[in-house]
Amino acid sequence: MEIIRTENLRHRFSDGTYGIDGISISIRKGEFVIIAGANGCGKTTFLRHLNGLLMPCEGSVMVDGISVTSDPRRARQMVGMVFQDADSQIVGETVYDDVAFGPENLCLERAEVRCRVESALESVGLSSFGDRRPHLLSGGEKRRVAIAGILAMQSEIFIFDEPFSNLDYPGVCSLLEEIRRLHRRGHTILLTTHDLEKVLAHADRLIIMQQGKIVRDGLPEECVKGSDAFGVREPFASRQGMELSSWLN
Amino acid sequence: MAELSEFGFRPGLSFLHRLDARFKLLFLLLLSLSILRAEFRGLVFFTALFLFCILRIRISLISLIKEMRYFLLLLFFVFAARALTVPGEKIFQYWQISLSRQGILEGCLVCWRLFAVVLLGLCFISTSRPSEIRGAAEYMLRPVPLIPEKRVGIMLSLLIRFIPLILNQAKETAEAQRARGIEQRKNPVYRLMKFSIPFLRRIFEEADGLVTAMEARCYSENRTPPEYKAGKEEWIFLLLAGFVCAMVLFIS
Repeated sequence: MEIIRTENLRHRFSDGTYGIDGISISIRKGEFVIIAGANGCGKTTFLRHLNGLLMPCEGSVMVDGISVTSDPRRARQMVGMVFQDADSQIVGETVYDDVAFGPENLCLERAEVRCRVESALESVGLSSFGDRRPHLLSGGEKRRVAIAGILAMQSEIFIFDEPFSNLDYPGVCSLLEEIRRLHRRGHTILLTTHDLEKVLAHADRLIIMQQGKIVRDGLPEECVKGSDAFGVREPFASRQGMELSSWLN
Repeated sequence: MAELSEFGFRPGLSFLHRLDARFKLLFLLLLSLSILRAEFRGLVFFTALFLFCILRIRISLISLIKEMRYFLLLLFFVFAARALTVPGEKIFQYWQISLSRQGILEGCLVCWRLFAVVLLGLCFISTSRPSEIRGAAEYMLRPVPLIPEKRVGIMLSLLIRFIPLILNQAKETAEAQRARGIEQRKNPVYRLMKFSIPFLRRIFEEADGLVTAMEARCYSENRTPPEYKAGKEEWIFLLLAGFVCAMVLFIS
């Protein structure tokens, strides 16, 4: 079942350049998609159209059959986004307040907010962190708080924008495990990266972008061959003709 | 800033933790006004009361004093200014400088009052979640015309959240400048300019990111209202606080 569809999506910046140029894709419910590409290729610009943070200059974005332009609030509720810089994403004074921020914006009853926050914090293993101040958490914990914030909004689609940047090895493993868990639970995952080594083994599909266009789209082990030409390093296992391996093994 | 931990909410189950934040804000106003009018006997009572509360909240007095060191320095200057300027019976004189008994007493009184207000503020902050304080502020501002209380509430909460980040940003920018030898330049205007331009640019960039992150989570001013829990306990405590304040002012 299709959950996201874009048709000839174009976005032009104020200086006249195109951030994304004619992107048409369809993403199935429960799919784990990696969007790779060099810096400035339009990954983040594309993702921001999926929850209405940016509106298309041309073309359309449909989430679960409804246009994002016509109902951006619904799109934002359905499509949760974990930003590259977790520090600027966390708005609450405590972990609990931050996770409650989304449900409160949805005007839910206080008891429902509490229930969702507790459940979300438990899901990401941060039940005892409710009263902690976010700026004192580690990078990995901050990203888990961001994920809990999206879980509390009961978003179906999770977008991760360069989630592994500035994380150490344990932080990457812990976040990767969390992303896998979300995928196993049936969430649709879209993840941008220029470092495929860490995550490619878990994906169902790889999309490579260059200069605002999709240049490759398909199975990870097929699309990744020769990805260096697009500014994305091909993982070592793929270069050696071996099976892609997970960082979690 | 990350290490500045005593001046923040501390989870607990004490009586003060359980009280409705609106009432606590009211007590804060009431007691602060009383403290600013109290004399020595009243201040002894208030200080003992606040120290008892602080110990109950389990704040270490040593770390508290350490964190208040700059404030204590400020109090010393306030004391010195009073002691040296208030006329009265001279107890020490050197050249044009003289200390008066009245000045010392007045300096002690002013400093003690300010110190007591800070202790009271600490009791309030340590036992109230920032979201409760925001809710209380929103409630208090509701009858004030022309003030969008919800917007003020969210600004208050963002301020609390982002002060540590802004301070960290300032520290990082200053360290980056030092690493490139800014200390060789003695002109303070040049140094200030070189510091403030990148610092402000990064702050504005972060603010921009914050707006996007808030939009991504469906931010609007129409949100679930804050939770209030005023009961019989709060009203009894309010009467008690009013009575205590009146008594302290009476005996002072």
